[in-house]
Amino acid sequence: MIISPKKIIGILEQNTLTLIGTIMVVFIIFIGVAAPLICPYDPNLMNIPARLQAPSLAHFFGTDEMGSDVFTRVIYGARISITVGLSIVVIAAGIGCFFGSISGYAGGKIDRIIMAATDMVLSFPSMVLALALTAAMGPGLFNTMLAVCIVRIPLYVRLMRGQVLALKEMQYVRAARTFGESPAKIVLRHIIPNCLTPLLVQMTLGIGDAILIASSMSFIGLGAQPPTPEWGAMIATARIYAIDQWWYAAFPGLFILITVMGFNLLGDGIRDILDPRSKD
Amino acid sequence: MENILSIKNLSVSLSGKRGIVPILHNISLEVEQGHILGIVGESGSGKSMTAFAINQLLPGGRKSIVDGSISFCGEDLTEKTEKEMTKFRGKEIAMIFQEPMTCLNPVFTIGRQMKDVIMTHQKKSSKEAEKQAEEMLEKVHIRNPNRVLSCYPYELSGGMRQRVMIAIALSCSPKLLIADEPTTALDVTIQAQIIFLIKEACKATGTGVIFISHDLGVVSQLCDTIAVMYSGQIVEVGRAADVLAHPQHPYTKALLASVPSFTPREDGNDTLSAIPGMVPDPLEVITGCRFAPRCSYAMDICHKKVPPLQIFADGYSLHCHLQKEVEN
Repeated sequence: MIISPKKIIGILEQNTLTLIGTIMVVFIIFIGVAAPLICPYDPNLMNIPARLQAPSLAHFFGTDEMGSDVFTRVIYGARISITVGLSIVVIAAGIGCFFGSISGYAGGKIDRIIMAATDMVLSFPSMVLALALTAAMGPGLFNTMLAVCIVRIPLYVRLMRGQVLALKEMQYVRAARTFGESPAKIVLRHIIPNCLTPLLVQMTLGIGDAILIASSMSFIGLGAQPPTPEWGAMIATARIYAIDQWWYAAFPGLFILITVMGFNLLGDGIRDILDPRSKD
Repeated sequence: MENILSIKNLSVSLSGKRGIVPILHNISLEVEQGHILGIVGESGSGKSMTAFAINQLLPGGRKSIVDGSISFCGEDLTEKTEKEMTKFRGKEIAMIFQEPMTCLNPVFTIGRQMKDVIMTHQKKSSKEAEKQAEEMLEKVHIRNPNRVLSCYPYELSGGMRQRVMIAIALSCSPKLLIADEPTTALDVTIQAQIIFLIKEACKATGTGVIFISHDLGVVSQLCDTIAVMYSGQIVEVGRAADVLAHPQHPYTKALLASVPSFTPREDGNDTLSAIPGMVPDPLEVITGCRFAPRCSYAMDICHKKVPPLQIFADGYSLHCHLQKEVEN
């Protein structure tokens, strides 16, 4: 693939939004990884006398109804959200691409079966289906991830199938066949690398989306359960204090905003970075 | 000389949405070692289909109905399984195409793609393959092989890409090279270079070449033998000089007459002559000669009976009732 550090820097210099997106994503990942070093407190440490304090030097983002430090909890929340977002997208894209490429390459009956299943999943509103699936499997962060994953798979099946169908007719794929390359090698060498750009863009945008859905599920009580420092779950508890203790709901919300927006801006930038024709 | 390829009575029908469509009717062709066979004809006459039939890469895949035999170095390709065919494709039978702009994978360097093909068919280490790729590029007269190896396809011009394609095609020293209108998309000076290159490669290594084109000028310069195709049939085969100088079949005559010329004609008629009508739809049922509806010499028998194959000296053969009439 055609990625040189020089080119990435060039694109970041030209495109302010991509730069902002990248900074946001790097920031969120950094605080997630370095959480124990940054945070002065334990995320689940309770200190009832110090409950619901406004932001101060001791507690940057104030404290919650148990007296835990909101700053610490928000920082640890980045860990959870990034992990959740990444694993949902990687697993959904992996499974989706597998079936999508089979569907596009094989065609015929296999294609019709896979597409029928895909259309069935897509005909539900994704949030409602994720909700129903989680409710059926029982609340919890892992089940939420699984449900969101299932809801997201058809997106990648569709994307991959379309790409494969278009690429299959490309002259270089036909040429590869006349050079005696096997179907498996043609998919690996010629089809997948040429699908990578739209796929990576879709995946990056998907991380933001996945984090948003997972947080929403936690917000309505199906995802992460309260002691877990998950942003959606935190906002859910903070809801009742929102009028008098604004900081409790505002900071987790702000971090959801930063993360989702960061990944969305980065997704657009990746398109430019991976285009072989954009300048070095 | 030894025949590399001999096609005998090949008929191909594709089964598609419109039912079974016959696209090739009773084709017989031969390619000798180190010889260049030109196949000419209008668009839709089945030139490329003949090529794909040899490669067993017909659009319908294994669903196409193939009758007759394609004997390649003594082995009948129509009887091979898909897996056995991959050993022939690229190694024994290589192919180059009309659109060099889209024949190379845009996300890999030229070197990587050449190495891929070389290593598919030969047991070579990555280093050896790279060395061979460089040699092949030198053979197709690319000035800076080392630099080109690290280029992406979009960095090369059409002519350069076609050279790279030829280098890839010849890298496993195939016995047969099928060139499907390789010069159509290139400008005239580059055309000449590519033609020269194919000729050179063929004479040096003894590779047999099937050169498909609708450009009679290109074919006349390059080919030893010419086969003229019309609507899935071969109407006339012979030595290039014979066919071009003394065409016997009315279709070949009409085709030659419709080549634009720079010098004014002797008879003062400057209008560009065209063959009336269109190539018939493959589904159209024609009882007699398939060219009869457009032929200005057509007789009653032409509409009723398929013209028989007449074989003459020097490998010349013809499918036409007219010649028989003259002889009688």
